[in-house]
Amino acid sequence: MKEQVAITGMGVVAPCGLKKETFWANLKRGKSFIDEVTRFDASQYPSRIAGQVHDLDCYTHLSSRLVKKIDVFSHMALVASEQALQDAQIDLEKIDKKRTGVFMGNALGGWLFAETELRDMYLEGREGVSPYMASAWFPAAPQGQVTIYYGFKGYSKTVVSDKASSALALWYGAKTIAQDKNEYVIAGGMEAPITPYALLCANTCGNLSKSNLTPKRAYRPYDLYRDGFVLGEGSGMVALEKEAHAKKRGVNIYGFVRGVGFSSDGYHYSRYKPSSDNLAYAIEECLKDAGWAKKDIDYICLDGEATTIGDYLETQALKNVFGKELENISLSAPKSMFGNLLGAQTSLDLIMTLLSMQHGTVLPTVNYEMKDPYCDLDYTPNKPIEKEINKALILARGRGGINVVLAVEKA
Amino acid sequence: MGLKEEVIEMMAKTLDVGKDELSEDKTLYDSIGVDSTEIVELTVALGKHFGVKIEANEIGKTSTPLQIVEVIEKKKQ
Repeated sequence: MKEQVAITGMGVVAPCGLKKETFWANLKRGKSFIDEVTRFDASQYPSRIAGQVHDLDCYTHLSSRLVKKIDVFSHMALVASEQALQDAQIDLEKIDKKRTGVFMGNALGGWLFAETELRDMYLEGREGVSPYMASAWFPAAPQGQVTIYYGFKGYSKTVVSDKASSALALWYGAKTIAQDKNEYVIAGGMEAPITPYALLCANTCGNLSKSNLTPKRAYRPYDLYRDGFVLGEGSGMVALEKEAHAKKRGVNIYGFVRGVGFSSDGYHYSRYKPSSDNLAYAIEECLKDAGWAKKDIDYICLDGEATTIGDYLETQALKNVFGKELENISLSAPKSMFGNLLGAQTSLDLIMTLLSMQHGTVLPTVNYEMKDPYCDLDYTPNKPIEKEINKALILARGRGGINVVLAVEKA
Repeated sequence: MGLKEEVIEMMAKTLDVGKDELSEDKTLYDSIGVDSTEIVELTVALGKHFGVKIEANEIGKTSTPLQIVEVIEKKKQ
C-alpha cells in the first residue's frame, strides 16, 4: 500500500480488560482469563469454558433504552468504538460525517438476543417476538448501530469470513482511506459466541478444547497435548486516517497498515487443506505488498488454533517462507490468554501488536509446556520478552482455509 | 389512577424513558425521537396491557400521548 494509513486510536472490550490500559497490564502478566461458562448452564456441553466479558454494563455510555434494543455484540462494538474515537481525539462536531466509514467483521451474528426471541416466538406466538429482533441479530447490526449512533454516513461494510472477518474489515477500511473514499474509518470486529446456541454450534463444529477441568490451562497452542482452542468474546476497534492527516492534527500515531496477503485453500468447506502452501502464499503476497524483505520482520502474531493440524500447518508455512530468518523473528499467540474471538480476533491481534510495539515487549503464548517435534519453533512460551518491534505480520485463518495476513509497522 | 395516567406510565415504561420526557401534546418523534420498531413494541405492549386490539396504523411516530390515550379510550368503550 503506497499511501500510509495511520492507526490513531484503539478501543478494547476483552475478557482481560475493557480499556487498552487494563488489557495491556493483564496481558503482560501472562495469566489466563479463561474460566467455566457462568452465563448459563453449560454443564452438558463437551467444551464449557470460555473467555467471558463480565462487566460490560459498568463501562457503557449507552442508555438502557438503546441497550435493550441491541444484542451484546453491538453493545461491545459501540463501547470499543467510543474508546477508539476518544483515543484518536476525533472531534465529532467538526468532522465530515459523509467521509467517515465503519468497517467491521464478525462470524456469527448476535445470538443472545435471537435465541431469547425465538424461544418467545414458540411459547407466545408472533406477538411474543420483540420488534427489535429484526435489527438486533444479523451480522451487520453493529456496523449499523455505530453509524446511527454517531451519524456516520461514509462508505461502510461488514465482512463475514469466519476467523478472518475482522482482518478483512481492517483491510477494506484501510483501503478506503488510501483511496481517499473516507477521511476517517472505525474498523475492527466484535463477537459474542458465549450463548447457549452459539456455543453448541461451535462445539458441533469441533476444534474446541475439552479440558474443562483445567480452564486456565486449556488453550495451549503448539503444545504437544493441545486439544483445540477456547472461545472468547469481545470487540476491538481502531481509528484509521492518512498519515499526513494525523500529523496535521498532531495526534499520536500507533502504527501503519502497510500491506495484505490473501489466499483460499479451495479444499473443503470447514477443514484446512493438509498442506501449508496457501498460507505460505498469503504471507509471501503480504511481504510483496508491503515491500518488505523477510529479514525485516521482527514479530509475527500467530493464528494459534491449538489443533494438531492447524498448528502444524502454520508452523510449516512459517518454515517454508522464512527458513533460517525465523531465528530472528519473535512469534506468539497471546490470544491463548483470553480465548479466540473468531471474527473479532484479528482486531485484538492488531491492538496487541501495536501495544507490543509501543512497549517494546513480545507477549507470550501461554500454557506451552511439552514440545511437539512437529511444532518446534520458539513461540515465546509463557513469559513476555523485551524486544524492539518495528515491523510485524498478523496471521488470520478462517475455517475452510481463508488465509489473510496483515503487515503492520510501528510509527 | 385515571386512564390517561395509566397509558402514559405504560408508555414511559415500555419505551424506557422518564414520564416527564413525554409531553402530552407533542408527537413521540418530536419529544423522544421514537423509531418505528419502538412504535411496534408500544402498540403490542399497550394492546396486551389494556386487553384491546390496536391496528398498526392507529399509533405512529407522529402520535401524541393524548391521541394514544384517545385511541385506547375508544377501544375500551
